[in-house]
Amino acid sequence: MRAEALKGHLDGLLLAALEAGPLHGYAVKEALRARTDGRIDLPTGTVYPALHRLERAGLISGSWSVSGGRRRRTYTLTPAGHGALGGERAGWQEFARAVTAALEVGSWSATS
Amino acid sequence: MVGHKLIEAELAVLSARLPAQAVDELADGLWETYRARLALHGDSDAGESDLAAREAIAEFGDAELITTVFFRGSPWRQMVVTLLATGPVMAALWGGSLVAAQAWEWQIPFAMRMASGLVLLAIVATLLAVTRARRAYRRARGAAVSGAVALLMLDVGSLIALGLMMSPGLGAPGAPGAAWLLTAAAAASLARIILTLRALPSALSR
Repeated sequence: MRAEALKGHLDGLLLAALEAGPLHGYAVKEALRARTDGRIDLPTGTVYPALHRLERAGLISGSWSVSGGRRRRTYTLTPAGHGALGGERAGWQEFARAVTAALEVGSWSATS
Repeated sequence: MVGHKLIEAELAVLSARLPAQAVDELADGLWETYRARLALHGDSDAGESDLAAREAIAEFGDAELITTVFFRGSPWRQMVVTLLATGPVMAALWGGSLVAAQAWEWQIPFAMRMASGLVLLAIVATLLAVTRARRAYRRARGAAVSGAVALLMLDVGSLIALGLMMSPGLGAPGAPGAAWLLTAAAAASLARIILTLRALPSALSR
């Protein structure tokens, strides 16, 4: 899937990936890839600025730990993040319903 | 897991460009990507580990891409873009109101007028340079914060100077309606001061 197609939806996707529990950046990217059967496979390095933006917005919170001798930052969905994810879901479902209806074969009535 | 020179070289480039905390996080992600690739190809010889490292960097995104995305998403760059966007409106408001008030007749020393203009030009040049920066994150952030603080001081200075000129005795001359225009310009400056004060803590933190 092209990166441009994800514009406007990346925040919702990242929040959804974190819904099941805390994850670090690479695991977020892997969770997204696994859940979409590889259709959404972002360059890992580009996920981090988006996570930082969500953290600044108070939708996720990050904490440092040490794993395998490396510093690792793990992110958790905040209550505000849960609320935002609900809004993203509702908005997407409405949008998808509208586009599906519009694209359906034979959904346009002919006018003379 | 042993290291790899290609991964270390990539991290060295990122270290030179981005803040230490971001690099720590990126290093963790890049080594994880490399480890996943090694698990796929095996690490029994140098050729396989080289292939794993190259694929890991391709999957992760190269230093150019990552730096660009970090710059674009940084709060200080967004602050600078917003401040620059206020420029045309502020120029129109202040320019229009100063012409209407016949500001050239005000008792302001020539040197001070020149200094104010030059400072404003330097600020705009600094902020424009920040939007074009692609490599030195810390230096660009420093320039962004300096430019924003200088603009803040210029706005405060403009309000003080306007207040002095409007005070009894110095009563600023001008066409009817000039006072309204000057008030609108002052209000716009005040709004930008508040905007800058609110954006600065976030810009300083990352």
